[in-house]
Amino acid sequence: MDNITRFAAVNTKIKSMEGELLKDEDYTLLLGLESVTEVAGYLKERTAYSEVLAKVDTGTIHRGMLENLIKQKMVKSIDRIIHYFTGDYKSFVKTLYAKYEIEELKILARAVYNGKDAAAFRNNVFLGKHSRIDTSKIYEAKYIRDIIYALQGSEFYKFLIPLVDGDFSENPFRFEMVMDMSYYSILQKKWSKLEKRDIKVLEQAQGIIADLLNIQWIYRGIKFYRLSPEELLNYTINIGYRLDFNMLKTLCYSKSLEEFNRIVKSTRYGFMLKDDGTTDIYMERRMERYIYFELKSMMKNNALSIISAFAFIIFLQFEVKDIISIIEAIRYKVPADQAYKYIVRKI
Amino acid sequence: MAVERMKITSIIGKLTDLDKVSRLIVINGSTHILNAISELNSNNLNLSASQKHMQTLQELEHIKPYISKRDFSKDEGIIRSFQDLFNLKLKICEDYLCVGDDYENTMAELRKVHEDVRHISKDMAERAANIEKLQQYLNNVSYLRNTDLRLEEINNLNFMKFRLLMLSNENFKKLKLNIENVPAIIFQAAVLSGNTVIASITPKSLEEEAERIFISLNYKELELPQEFSGTIEDVINQINAKISNEKRQVEELRESVAELSRTYSGTVSKAYTLLELEKKAEKLKQETALGSSMFFVFGFVPESEVEGVRIELKQYFGDSIIFIADNVDDKRLGNAPPTKMKNISLFRPFESLISMYGMPSYGEKDPTPFFALSYMLMFGAMFGDLGQGLIVLLAGLFIGYRTANKSFGGILTRLGASSMIFGALYGSVFGSEELIGALLIRPMANINTMLVSAIVLGIILITISYIYSLLNHYSSGNIEEGLFGREGLAGFLFFLTLILGALGKATGKLTVGIGLPLGAMVVLLLVMVFKQPLSGLLTGRRLYEESPGDYYIEAGFGVIETVLSVASNIISFIRVGAFALNHVGLYIAFATMAEMLNSKAGGIMVLIIGNIFIIGLEGLIVFIQSLRLEYYELFSKYYSGYGVEYKPAGLSGKGDSGNEMV
Repeated sequence: MDNITRFAAVNTKIKSMEGELLKDEDYTLLLGLESVTEVAGYLKERTAYSEVLAKVDTGTIHRGMLENLIKQKMVKSIDRIIHYFTGDYKSFVKTLYAKYEIEELKILARAVYNGKDAAAFRNNVFLGKHSRIDTSKIYEAKYIRDIIYALQGSEFYKFLIPLVDGDFSENPFRFEMVMDMSYYSILQKKWSKLEKRDIKVLEQAQGIIADLLNIQWIYRGIKFYRLSPEELLNYTINIGYRLDFNMLKTLCYSKSLEEFNRIVKSTRYGFMLKDDGTTDIYMERRMERYIYFELKSMMKNNALSIISAFAFIIFLQFEVKDIISIIEAIRYKVPADQAYKYIVRKI
Repeated sequence: MAVERMKITSIIGKLTDLDKVSRLIVINGSTHILNAISELNSNNLNLSASQKHMQTLQELEHIKPYISKRDFSKDEGIIRSFQDLFNLKLKICEDYLCVGDDYENTMAELRKVHEDVRHISKDMAERAANIEKLQQYLNNVSYLRNTDLRLEEINNLNFMKFRLLMLSNENFKKLKLNIENVPAIIFQAAVLSGNTVIASITPKSLEEEAERIFISLNYKELELPQEFSGTIEDVINQINAKISNEKRQVEELRESVAELSRTYSGTVSKAYTLLELEKKAEKLKQETALGSSMFFVFGFVPESEVEGVRIELKQYFGDSIIFIADNVDDKRLGNAPPTKMKNISLFRPFESLISMYGMPSYGEKDPTPFFALSYMLMFGAMFGDLGQGLIVLLAGLFIGYRTANKSFGGILTRLGASSMIFGALYGSVFGSEELIGALLIRPMANINTMLVSAIVLGIILITISYIYSLLNHYSSGNIEEGLFGREGLAGFLFFLTLILGALGKATGKLTVGIGLPLGAMVVLLLVMVFKQPLSGLLTGRRLYEESPGDYYIEAGFGVIETVLSVASNIISFIRVGAFALNHVGLYIAFATMAEMLNSKAGGIMVLIIGNIFIIGLEGLIVFIQSLRLEYYELFSKYYSGYGVEYKPAGLSGKGDSGNEMV
């Protein structure tokens, strides 16, 4: 199938859905609101989120419910995009759900490990979206191994088997790392079936994201976690765009944080680290803004390719994240002139 | 050759007989059960108020539904475990069916053996798991085959730890690229699809560090057995010996199962049959109504079966059961009688196409004979070919023989035969018109004749539809539609006047002026517009059922539709001729291509492909087009299809929801 037949329709749809994303002035107005219910009301009256909020009484809504509904809107948008694809492309775009399902599974596993009731996550929107499993078993989980057994039949299970093999003690860290690593294996397997041109684009886009995540991981590993360089290295993502394995190895084995900083500064990703003490607070936001602008320019340069769908789903994710940040800022009374620093969108 | 006449039957008996009676009805399998409570609410019980029936009539005062408290799932579980162990294919066996209370005894017998059987199957499962474990060991050990290691040595190293691990290829690559920092000696033992097996030797003092690195690579340990010793070859032999020993044990167990199976498979089969009977009877009982000491069952039974039911009931229960079979009253309230179509075998497969549209209602003429004949006629006329028809016929026989879809196979067989007959009339064999002479006509040489005959055929078929419609309206006593309706007498006369007028005008044989037929048509249209008030006048009922304004708007549009549809219905049939021509035309296209090839073999190939193409594509199109003519042009005239299918309570009848346990 040529690229025009494959992408013309879906990219037009994406263009129109981009128009539904929040505008800068929406952000400004949202940041100025006083309460969660006001945010819900604004989203319902003035934005495309009315689709999920129409039947909800925004006057009595609470934070968790609003967050789930906002995510619900993201699911609806992604489902619309998936609808336009067929064959290997459909299966690739569906795989993008895995990232969000993994996030939810990780949070759930940690909660279960801490003795919380899994049923509290019943309203999660991404669970089962990729794995296609019967989620009711997950909500009954008492131990992490119950979650793993509930995932039997999904693509995740293969990676999780070693965790329940032999005398495995409940370990949320291992679960989290295995889930994260599995995402990149599954993703690579799926995209290898696409056309060469699209694979190239994805290798660049996902590669840049992987570079950023690797730097963040090693930085935190050196600064906060007591992990050996070998472990740090083994948990890196091996699909980097600018940072190859040897570079990562050098980073992992850097003797001190200063040495690490010096090496990173010599790369294109030096912006992540600042000497003014803001690195820890803003690293994630800086990464995400960088991803946002990289993807924007890639979308422009590769008009008829898979990048539009790939990038748009990430934009959706950023918007959801921003709205949740705004809600949290309002909830914890962070003033608007401070709060805007924590959101991905540059206003 | 029609819809079977039904009788409504009532069975009234003592509560103590309820189980037996419901079993009897299920075994008999010819009663379409009605809900007794709603039946009693909507119709009076036809019992004379004699002394004999006094008690029964009093019962009617406090009727309540039957509430089932029986749970068969445990028994089903038992039977299923026997079925799995004995590897039986359970089916309902008529010899075991009986009205009496055998079920509990049979189940009790099975329950007694069930404990033994459970032990055996548990033992077998354990041994099977053991064999699997051993096979895993065998697999793991064999990675070390090319070494001269001894198993007890590597298991009992004092300062080192030996392990076999499996990593994904990606993670193995990471390990390899950083090997200088790993406190272990690594050997690559095997590469499987996507995974790598490694042997690692670590000093015990560094074991924890190595373990953390391996964990970060998400390893899977390949366990080595502790209970064996010797060289790897030796160990493999020992494990194999142990496996065959276990297998022998399993074999012995299996033999004891076989012995049990010989003794008890009859009982299992009987229990299964009785369980199915019990389940069906239980379902039936939920439709009954219970008094304080009597029960009531109502159902429709085909006239021909009524005596059978009566005699069987009499045989088992003598006079303690009251059995009444009444004719179905026109003014019956509540459930309409179900429809059972009854046709000769030539037409029977076509019943499935009819029920696809809807079952005939009770009292409606069964359209199957007309449908079947006209369908075969149209298909044959459009797809007339001796050779291709034969292929369709053979395909039909094959499908009917090999698959469960008897009716579709039957339809294809009949359509194929019809196609062959028309093939002979057209003189066409696999598209070629040179092999045999035409008995009747060459379609391509007589295009006008073909198209005109198609129209004539259409007129005849539509006329027959009108007659069916008149008969249906007559038997239902519907004056409004029957006399003045679009599909009634007025519509029919309008249709005839239009045809005869047009024919007379065209041939010049019309002796009266064109005004007469036109005038008659206008009058008939007016009759159709005023059909409701007219029938109101005749029957003395209300003139309008809705507001007159609404009525006349609807009737006005009805007139336009009538005029349009009469013309379009007739012209629609031109496709019968057109497809007959099309059929020849398609072949000509392929024949031309074959000639252009200049090679005999190539030409024949093209003709074969062409024939396959014609049979597949055109066969399908013609099949659908004929169906369309039937459903749209003809059924709309005379057929409602609002009937309910006759589904008697029984074990193997149509009402059977399938044997859930097989």
